[in-house]
Amino acid sequence: MNPRILVPVLVAAYLVVPLAFQSNGYLLGLIVAALTIAGIAVAWALLGNLGGMVSFGHAAFFGVGSYVSAVLTMKAGAPVFVGLLMGGVGAAIASVATMPALRLKGPYFALAILAYAHIFQILAVQMESVTGGAGGLLSIPRFPTVLGIDFGSKLGGYFLIVTIVILAALAYDAIRRSTWGLALKAMHDSELATRVVGVPSTHLKAVMLVVSAFITGVVGAFNAHFINFLEPDYAFSGSWTVLPIAAAIFGGYRTVWGPVLGALVIYLFDQLLFKEVLPHGHQLVLGALMAGMVLWSPGGLVPVLVRRKGGRAHAHA
Amino acid sequence: MLTLDRVQVSFGGVTALRNVTLGVAEGETVGLVGPNGAGKTTLFNVISGVVHPVAGSLSFRGKPLLKEPEWKRARLGIGRSFQIPRPLHHCTVRENLIVAQRFGAGKADPTRIDEILDLLKLAHKADRDAVTELALTEHKALEVGKALATDPALLLLDEVLAGLETAGKRAFMQTLGAVRDRFNLAMIVIEHDIPTISTLCPRVAVLNFGELIADGTPDAVFRDAEVIRSYTGEAVA
Amino acid sequence: MLELTLQALFSGLLAGGYYATVAVGLALVFGTMRVINLAHGELVLLAAYIAYAGESRYGLNPVLCIPFALVVVSASAAIVYALLSRIEQDREMNSLILTFGLGVILTNLILMTWAADIHSTTNAWMLDSFIVADTLFAMRSEVVFFVAGLALMAAVHLWLSRSWQGRAVRALSSNRSAATLMGVDPRRTEVLSFLVAGALSTFAGIAIYTGKTIYPALGHVMTVKAFIITVLAGMGSIPGVLIGAVMIGVIESFTVTFAAASLQELAGMVLFLVVLFVAPSGLFGGKKALPR
Repeated sequence: MNPRILVPVLVAAYLVVPLAFQSNGYLLGLIVAALTIAGIAVAWALLGNLGGMVSFGHAAFFGVGSYVSAVLTMKAGAPVFVGLLMGGVGAAIASVATMPALRLKGPYFALAILAYAHIFQILAVQMESVTGGAGGLLSIPRFPTVLGIDFGSKLGGYFLIVTIVILAALAYDAIRRSTWGLALKAMHDSELATRVVGVPSTHLKAVMLVVSAFITGVVGAFNAHFINFLEPDYAFSGSWTVLPIAAAIFGGYRTVWGPVLGALVIYLFDQLLFKEVLPHGHQLVLGALMAGMVLWSPGGLVPVLVRRKGGRAHAHA
Repeated sequence: MLTLDRVQVSFGGVTALRNVTLGVAEGETVGLVGPNGAGKTTLFNVISGVVHPVAGSLSFRGKPLLKEPEWKRARLGIGRSFQIPRPLHHCTVRENLIVAQRFGAGKADPTRIDEILDLLKLAHKADRDAVTELALTEHKALEVGKALATDPALLLLDEVLAGLETAGKRAFMQTLGAVRDRFNLAMIVIEHDIPTISTLCPRVAVLNFGELIADGTPDAVFRDAEVIRSYTGEAVA
Repeated sequence: MLELTLQALFSGLLAGGYYATVAVGLALVFGTMRVINLAHGELVLLAAYIAYAGESRYGLNPVLCIPFALVVVSASAAIVYALLSRIEQDREMNSLILTFGLGVILTNLILMTWAADIHSTTNAWMLDSFIVADTLFAMRSEVVFFVAGLALMAAVHLWLSRSWQGRAVRALSSNRSAATLMGVDPRRTEVLSFLVAGALSTFAGIAIYTGKTIYPALGHVMTVKAFIITVLAGMGSIPGVLIGAVMIGVIESFTVTFAAASLQELAGMVLFLVVLFVAPSGLFGGKKALPR
């Protein structure tokens, strides 16, 4: 990770934003929501860029993570932070169920995951005794106070999600720069060549899927404990798929911070501006952004910014 | 070291390989020749795991191979170069070797990579993109290099000399000889150039229409009537 | 019980008729461009809403709206094609995202213009019942459009197998480089496949408006359904698509009748996954059915 990028990010995340927004609960809440999207966007970009798989069903992992954590903390009395991790684990396990889809190419995989999202949603509704059925779960435990910091507050929640997102981005970057990253990159267009030199290509893709699902699951679990409420239509909503994709594409899914930047920009603009102007069709702008980005700057926003600053824009991961 | 027993490969209605029984010993160099379409590349595909036979068996150093995927076979010690070069995309030459070494040999040994680059005369192109910035000779050299980086015991060379002019051929041949001696490899070499094969390989096998019609020293094989007929085109009974 | 089963079968069969037209359109485009148009369902939706607008605003019979819908949908299809052909790198992924985005735009435009309420035709003739063998019930519209759908599919099948352009489409789908080397103009053929897909979608849109209910999210639902059917059928054969479509129609019908209406889409999804993992080349597919 380039320290010239990491240090400003850390400063902004842990100093600037908290100081600037600590008294504005409304904006802070929006930022938390934007970062939740960012977390999923990073996970999606990781799968798309490194794994080479476009997923249209990440809401599946988000929802599973949310429910696993909520249920474990409410029914089994697990501490909330453990629930957070277990949400990730639960989503990772759910991704194993989707692994047969790995041998499919492109759109087949994308839609297979979508099918899984629908199925998990129905399961959440049907397993009423565990998940509260269609009515959902209320009063999901908040984050506790640890070392004097109330993580249940808006600010505390902010620190949590921003840490999760930064860790996810660092993981994405670490993989990208490793030999694994090289092999994954080569697998897109020369999979046979990699297999013949000893790369277990399907296994690598599977690992990317599990990692992506884990991150998404943790983010889902965070969200459940932050808003203290969950129901199937919400937890598995298509928005948890569409918004992160728009964010990743807009920001640049082949970069590490692109999805994060994209999420912040898109979500905040969407909530503060587009929703006011087009209360019913504001998602239209998201569609336009996605289409527009693909046509005019497939690399997203970040490469454009980097080029402006005279840096070298990486066309590929 | 490598044993094929009555291997048969069919693609739909076409039988590409029929009843092929072949053995290669440790450190042995075997040439594989035959007219176009005889099934030579298919044989390599079977050995490296790209294609599955419908009948017959395959083993390497005593271990049955049929159930193993391509990448496992690479790790077991079977290195493969493709007739039409297949470099790793979006990677430099050096990165190609790094990936091959890391996954195929299970280690990271930069000295060995430098040695391979030097042997194959690729050092000056080490940090160039493997797909877009190499000339044909260099592509072919990289094919061999990738396979070498996996620490193979058996090297499958598929027409690495094709497309090269005489001087280039001679130079590459010497490189191959040096490679073999340095790393103590067994090799199966597919070539069309008979003088080359005769010089490099003390033993030659001949495929025709998917069947092995001769297997012996170059002298014996190239005087065999059936082999000559298969090349000159007279109908084989 | 038996009556219920037969009714469910019958309704499913009828639905399969126009599901098939949507699926064939998607498959045509995939064949020539190797691209799944995720905005395909929205074209169907567009036609449906045009019929709604025509009927509710001007009192027109939905069938009379077909010409206008055809023009609008064809124009939209042409725009999607134009944008798609501008993609240069990473075709597979970028085309998915692009068409996905376009679908979102279309859905939201429709949402903004007509709100989220569900609609259906009010045309009495269409809604009137059509009884078969004294027990099986359908709406006239369902039957009419089923028969018309079959005729349309037969026409497309004939076109693909006999006409010069149809052969060009098949040639381009099976081996692009060989086809272009033999004189097939790829752009013209691709546009043609898009336009035919548009025509099929228009038909399906009117069919859904008169036979079922429409709502903005239907676009997405139809795209997914069409995709599932092409997977079932194996993308190689039109008769296969028809059978696959009827299978989906029947499974949905059974689910709604014997389980719960909310599980309707789920049935198709589960079938999709089952086929995907058990018989990846589709149930009737040709060799090149699913890229692996």
